[in-house]
Amino acid sequence: MSRRIHPSVAGAQPFQLAERDPEAPLFESAEGQERLQAVLSRYPTKQAALLPLLGYANELHGWVSKQDMESIAERLDLTPAYVWSVASFYTMYNKHPIGRHFIQVCTNISCHLNGAQRVLKRFLEETGTRPGETSEDGRYTVIEAECLGACGFATAVQINDEYHENVTPERVSQILAGLDGNGS
Amino acid sequence: MYGNVKTAELVSLRIDGTEISVPSNTSVIEAAEAVGVLVPRYCYHPGIPSRPAQCRVCLVEIEGQPKLQPSCNISVQEGMVVHTASEEARSARRSVIELLLVNHPLDCPICDAAGQCMLQDYAFETRQLASRLNEEKLVMGRDRIAEDILYFADRCIICTRCVRFMREVAEDDALIVAQRGYRAYIDTFPGAVLDNPFRGNIVDVCPVGALVHEDFLFKARFWDLDQTASVCPSCSTGCNVTIDTVENQIVRLKPRHNSEVNSYWMCDHGRKHLIMSNRGLRPEAPLLRRDGKLVPTGWGEALTWVAERLREVSRGMAIVSPHAANESLFYFRTLLDRIGIAGGTFRVEQGEEAILPGFPKLQLRADRAPNASGAELHGFERFDGGAHSDPGGDAVAVLEDPLGELPDEWGREASFFLYVGNRLSPAARNAHAILPVTTFAEMEGTFTNFEGRVQRFHQALQPAGLARPAWLVLARLVSLLEDGGDGGVAAPTLASEAFQVMVRATPAMADLEWASVGLKGARLGSTEAAVPHAQAPAEGA
Amino acid sequence: MAYPYRDDRETTTVLSRHMGEPEARTLSGWLERGGYEALGTALEMEPDEITEIVKESGLRGRGGAGFPTGMKWGFMPKENGRAHYLCCNADESEPGAFKDREIMRWTPHLMIEGCLIAARAIRAGHVYIYVRGEFFPVVRVLNQAVVEAYEAGYIGRSVLGSGWSCDITVHLGAGAYIAGEETGLMSSLMGGRAEPWMKPPFPAARGIFGAPTTVNNVETLASVPGIVANGSAWYRQWGSDESPGTKLWCCSGHLVKPGNYELELGVPLSEIIYDVCGGAPDGKRVRAVIPGGSSTPFLTADELDCETTYEGMQAAGSSLGTASPIVMDESTCLLSAMRRIAQFYAHESCGQCVQCREGTEWIAKILRRIEDGDGEMKDIDTLYDLCEQLTGRTICVLADSVVFPLRSSLDKFRDEYESHIQQDACTAT
Ligand SMILES: Cc1cc2nc3c(=O)[nH]c(=O)nc-3n(C[C@H](O)[C@H](O)[C@H](O)COP(=O)(O)O)c2cc1C
Ligand code: SF4
Ligand code: SF4
Ligand code: SF4
Ligand code: FES
Ligand code: FES
Repeated sequence: MSRRIHPSVAGAQPFQLAERDPEAPLFESAEGQERLQAVLSRYPTKQAALLPLLGYANELHGWVSKQDMESIAERLDLTPAYVWSVASFYTMYNKHPIGRHFIQVCTNISCHLNGAQRVLKRFLEETGTRPGETSEDGRYTVIEAECLGACGFATAVQINDEYHENVTPERVSQILAGLDGNGS
Repeated sequence: MYGNVKTAELVSLRIDGTEISVPSNTSVIEAAEAVGVLVPRYCYHPGIPSRPAQCRVCLVEIEGQPKLQPSCNISVQEGMVVHTASEEARSARRSVIELLLVNHPLDCPICDAAGQCMLQDYAFETRQLASRLNEEKLVMGRDRIAEDILYFADRCIICTRCVRFMREVAEDDALIVAQRGYRAYIDTFPGAVLDNPFRGNIVDVCPVGALVHEDFLFKARFWDLDQTASVCPSCSTGCNVTIDTVENQIVRLKPRHNSEVNSYWMCDHGRKHLIMSNRGLRPEAPLLRRDGKLVPTGWGEALTWVAERLREVSRGMAIVSPHAANESLFYFRTLLDRIGIAGGTFRVEQGEEAILPGFPKLQLRADRAPNASGAELHGFERFDGGAHSDPGGDAVAVLEDPLGELPDEWGREASFFLYVGNRLSPAARNAHAILPVTTFAEMEGTFTNFEGRVQRFHQALQPAGLARPAWLVLARLVSLLEDGGDGGVAAPTLASEAFQVMVRATPAMADLEWASVGLKGARLGSTEAAVPHAQAPAEGA
Repeated sequence: MAYPYRDDRETTTVLSRHMGEPEARTLSGWLERGGYEALGTALEMEPDEITEIVKESGLRGRGGAGFPTGMKWGFMPKENGRAHYLCCNADESEPGAFKDREIMRWTPHLMIEGCLIAARAIRAGHVYIYVRGEFFPVVRVLNQAVVEAYEAGYIGRSVLGSGWSCDITVHLGAGAYIAGEETGLMSSLMGGRAEPWMKPPFPAARGIFGAPTTVNNVETLASVPGIVANGSAWYRQWGSDESPGTKLWCCSGHLVKPGNYELELGVPLSEIIYDVCGGAPDGKRVRAVIPGGSSTPFLTADELDCETTYEGMQAAGSSLGTASPIVMDESTCLLSAMRRIAQFYAHESCGQCVQCREGTEWIAKILRRIEDGDGEMKDIDTLYDLCEQLTGRTICVLADSVVFPLRSSLDKFRDEYESHIQQDACTAT
């Protein structure tokens, strides 16, 4: 992550990556400082940098910890409670560590009509998990998602920052195999 | 509450058939109140600036508007015609209540707020107590929000009054809404608790029983409480409060609205201090020293004996308490003048200060007593240097100072030691006469706050034993000294009479009237005293 | 790679002409295709002239409500010197809709160009593109385009040497449908919970950071360069007087060829479903269609002969919404479909208004119970009553949004509800 990021998009980096370092310091690093300054430069208030920085924490650590919320609060002159209020409103900031492959199966209406429940069930079976639970080997977390904006390509499944479209139960094992090839 | 009446332009509108003119920055809900219509409200609170209009219970019909409008958020307009009770408005209100009851536990029998709950009230009003809900209710449990405050999530209706009090009035963004939709609840940062010195107000603003003071939990049912308008005695701000009592015990203090003093708020120190400090040994009958021993007697005998002894006093010192009422201080001064003791001192306990940023006039002030100004007004001097010096062989007269931290032998050598008070500390026991007087909660009277506002308090408790208000005891002594008590100088028997005698004899208080001091108080030396204040809007919390 | 969802009949391609061409994503590829010419034209125009052309074109907002775009821009204060903002609403989360994502992932520069022209028209110096957080692959493409455009001087200080400056910042949402509602979007952009607020204040008076703000949908903005380059008469060659132009149709559900098609407004809905998308697969009959995304009323198979204009869809008892027909064939359990839709709204309610917070959840619970075979006939009355309670009484229209499909399904498919309640059986075949 040492490449320079243009400030216009510094707050909009995909934040669910397969590679992440739960121990990496958020702002006590050159990258962290650069990201913070770049994001702050784009808004007239510090508070507006909150979502971009929560995204950054999620991107870096795979989830947003209490400590992350505290250090973001400090940088933005907000209270930790306020940060928690905002973080908990949005579903994409993970509040717990998640598996290396975060599998979100859309079960909303268009996918529902095209067998999303069966796709979900298959993912759960093959990963041996229950919804929201991380597999024992730390590889998978499978959840049910709301519409992913790919309704014409049902069933839509998002795995980390990639979309898989037209997923059928039959394709599930192949998709999982593909993940282990490059994802871990 | 209507902003500055002089600068805002007046507009006329009609609410439920009644014409009214109000300043243009008045909201419809406030204007309705002015014509005596109390539109139900949850998220709106007159002391919290924001108007999110989110609970939707205050919807009213405004002619010409296609949809019902939240009356808390809409400003009045010239010619507006409002119907607060039209069929549609009533049905909308009913539906809000019903929907709130969908996941509400209806545990009124064990809820602390029962009897003063704005959900229960409106539910009865709209006859909705039987919920149509066949589904299982969401169960969320309870949570500790502060050392002394519990949160019952199931009862919460997410009106966010508590959150907005903390954010906008206490300016401490430590209480928030977590999650969203039907899963939303009130929370602090995980692992943190509220430690703001004004946090207790969140319990008062909560329109239901979701936030409760733990020390009040299950202590009393609302309908068993006796409530008395009073003034907080725990610092020189003198917040207006209601003292809630059960069986002659104070169980809690609640703020009482006064836009000049404390708005709708009070501090947590004030909430607790009176209750905690109300313990300790009380003298319950006049005690006279006979053969070196304190012996209880009746009032008649005690006063005659004390008056006799006082005639012999010429030199001496006086100590008063800034907790004594104005009337008591006045009569004490009168008595001292009579026996020839000049001056006199008082000590004020000091404590840390705290300010309520959203209403900065409200401060927990360093002076932890309600009437230091009153003591000064009656010629007593603040004494900051350590303990009161021992009177030695002189006489000493003490009004209500508990003499708490003094050595046990303090005052033992005094030629005459009169103790008019309500605590039996070791030093007080050295007195020749102990005249038991009421605490402020057991009497009627006035205090003068830090800025010279004279405020009345009412009697909340029955006096302990034979204790009487100090002004009454002292007035009797004065009249005994004047003419032997033969009725030449009538001693007052009512607090209002004592007050009138005091203001007539005290130039600084000359323009005060008992009636105009009323429930809101009056400033010394201002014309304000003559203007009775509008009644605060009735507040459900 | 060809754009897989082009209609093989003759069709209009104003927005989608270059979809499917990976080179169109790059600045050079885009310039080869005539990109940023409209921006050059706009830079020579006065802001109000741009607004006037857009007004004349009759372009209506594509975010769902169909509000006339030129008129919206006209609400912005006319003085220079104060900060004004444009928010590009790329939060696309309406179930059924997937058009903004196609625009951004294939032709990001088209949208950027539209943003810049709109910004000039409303005197905004900063554009925030609020993209829904899940759209990572799209965001990568968009980010690259924005950076390229910055580096080539199309964005930033003195755009193309004109002396007019405009910044663009890409901002990511984080999983909240309500952040697509314009005031919710603004709350979110300012670093808050995406809670909508009561209007007034309207965004043009007081939007983000207290400044006049316009919020426009991606497709609305992407339609602007063509209008500015070719004039309003050109745009009005398509569609009706009240609904001119072309529109991306997001077709999903039970279809032989689901996908995203650009069509002139006014094409009969039945034509879109049967001719363009090939009808339901496996020779099944269509049972029901939600024509404009999940927040619009159901139509039965017999009601599809309607004109797909704003006015035509309204006349048919539904609405154009985001032009996202969700097609359900005869094997569909409509109760289960409705339950899934209701569940979505309950999940996405921000929770401020009692009706919405409690009502959406209660509706979802009742539907779930009926689906589980524990329904009672009085549930139908309760559902109707809830429709009443959730209509027109809340801060934003999310609550109304669940009522549209719910009430219409109760009206049009009551037999489905009754059959589930009385026989615990579905009427689907
Ligand atoms: C619950 C809700 C969700 C919405 N979601 C979106 C959305 O995802 N994208 C969008 O462009 N507009 C959405 N809208 C509409 C916006 O509020 C707003 O009308 C639109 O962005 C204006 O742009 P336009 O005039 O260009 O259509 C939504 C509205 C509501 C009530
Ligand atoms: S705890 Fe009480 S005041 Fe706070 S949101 Fe809930 S109901 Fe309202
Ligand atoms: S500020 Fe002072 S008067 Fe007010 S409640 Fe606190 S202690 Fe009592
Ligand atoms: S209608 Fe629903 S989503 Fe909209 S503001 Fe109210 S609670 Fe939030
Ligand atoms: S319904 Fe699944 S992606 Fe839209
Ligand atoms: S009191 Fe008006 S909406 Fe809550």
